[in-house]
Amino acid sequence: MTTSPAEMAEPRRRLHPLSPLLHGAKSIAVVVAALSWNTLQEVGLGRFALVVTVLALGVVVFSVVNWLTTGYHVVGRELRISDGLLWRRNRAIPLERLQAVELRRPLLAQLTGLAELRLEVVGGSKTEAPLAYLTVRDAAALRERLLALAGRTTAVAAQPDAGAQVAPPSLERQLVRVRNRDLVTSQLLTPQAFFLPVGVTFVVIQFVLEAEWTFIGIASTFTAMAGVLLHPARRILQDWDFRLARDPGGRLLVRYGLLETRSQVVPPHRVQSIGLTWPLLWRGHKWLHLRLDIAGYAGEHGSDSKQSDRLLPVGDFGTARSLVWEVLPSVDLTTLATSPPPARARWLHPFALRYLGVGLTPEVFVSRWGLLTREMSLVPYARLQSVRVVQGPVQRLLGLATVYADTAGGRSGEARDRDLAEAWALAEQLAVRARHARRLLSQP
Amino acid sequence: MTPPPPYVDALTPWPDTVAWRPVSRKLITVELIARGIGVVVLLAGLGVGWALAPHWLWPAGMGVVVAYAIWRSIVTFRAVRAWGYAERDQDLLVKHGLLIRRLSIVPYARMQFVDVTAGPLERAFGLATVQLHTAAAASDAKVPGLPPQEAARLRDRLTALGENRAEGL
Repeated sequence: MTTSPAEMAEPRRRLHPLSPLLHGAKSIAVVVAALSWNTLQEVGLGRFALVVTVLALGVVVFSVVNWLTTGYHVVGRELRISDGLLWRRNRAIPLERLQAVELRRPLLAQLTGLAELRLEVVGGSKTEAPLAYLTVRDAAALRERLLALAGRTTAVAAQPDAGAQVAPPSLERQLVRVRNRDLVTSQLLTPQAFFLPVGVTFVVIQFVLEAEWTFIGIASTFTAMAGVLLHPARRILQDWDFRLARDPGGRLLVRYGLLETRSQVVPPHRVQSIGLTWPLLWRGHKWLHLRLDIAGYAGEHGSDSKQSDRLLPVGDFGTARSLVWEVLPSVDLTTLATSPPPARARWLHPFALRYLGVGLTPEVFVSRWGLLTREMSLVPYARLQSVRVVQGPVQRLLGLATVYADTAGGRSGEARDRDLAEAWALAEQLAVRARHARRLLSQP
Repeated sequence: MTPPPPYVDALTPWPDTVAWRPVSRKLITVELIARGIGVVVLLAGLGVGWALAPHWLWPAGMGVVVAYAIWRSIVTFRAVRAWGYAERDQDLLVKHGLLIRRLSIVPYARMQFVDVTAGPLERAFGLATVQLHTAAAASDAKVPGLPPQEAARLRDRLTALGENRAEGL
């Protein structure tokens, strides 16, 4: 092991001194909620306050110890993070693997001028190394630095980088800004929001017929309504004031959020695929939403809070077209021709056959499907990981096969129920084009 | 319309250009023994149940298990023959499956790591499994039933090719 002077010069740094308090505040709120009013009534205010104080002290001490033992520093092209008191843990995050960096500011952090830095690294099942919390300035500087390190090829890495790390003043070019009115309208046009009046009517009719107004009944009704509305409401809060911009280095800057603001930087070559969705209820406005697949976010469909993969929460076709053009240069949404599967696939898709289709354009593999909610996915050939051809028993009877174009983003491009000979040709073409695209990338 | 289309088969695409290599026939024996052990354990469990609480359902269950095992064993002969792999210049092809037929094309450049595994039964028969992992969770390039020297050769070749063309994502 050799240690260059640069590595020696970089000391281990701590998180912001306020972070234990912010962490503690969350835990205390949870504790108080868990103790609930019931306990308060039983033990009396004085003892309740005592219990809460003791618990709060414990939490703060724990957080402070945690803070004291957590440190991070950049060594070469790695970010090293160490934490833990009894179980020391040292993590080295290779920055070549960095997919995206997100700066997240929950409400409390906004009040105190702090931010959390999250790194998305491929291969990690969860977000690697959330650095919570740093001052906004530190977080932004560190982000710039990590991205600069991640973007450099090994050839450039040898050069001194004294001035390069200073973040340039915001010369970014705004690409799109979603109007909040559109966002609210779009979320009102969801099945959940449509269900609400139906549900309310049902409950009212029940009450009128039964003439029985119990507290439990009303409370549970409201809880159910809140549960139904939670998803659209959360989407509105999350996607509030959605802005997308492009910085001078060509990276995408995504900012959104009301209570918790997020700002995300995605290098364009980290985009694994783009998904377009036209929900049924949005068709009156001709709206659609765009999704960006990044490798680090793969397989996180369950947890809603982590789905920070939006490219456009709601927008019209023109906006989507210009955005796709920005992210995947020379891909024009209006010129994507697709061909349908053979007519005998009707046995498998009695209604939706018309909307199935795949196309090979010079840059991307296009596939579209869906009768009510129409969807389309664009997979750049350069991002293809593998190609699969799968034929089930029914498909064998009909002489059909499905071709999958796998990406690291977790979602695959699918050419469903193609003629078998065509499927082979498609698989061959995908493999050849992927190879060609990669070669172009490696020797620019 | 075009003249009659060329004969296409789900298991042997591009027969002219791709040299498919079969997996070892010993894999049939391994799978049969593994299934035999499973069946014996199941039958023993059912037998104990029968001894404790006599009911006609127990022997019926045994019959079903035996019939299923026999059917699966017959299928195994064909299923093992259906496995195949081919190394092309740029990618590895793996095909398998009878009921649902699958073919995977994995470029060497996309390889993240190679797994070589061998369970106790496989080791007893001198077999190993090589699996190629990419960044996409969906890609399945797994070749079971390889003789150790072939597994080592494949592993080394894959690793060498992957290093030459390393791009990862």
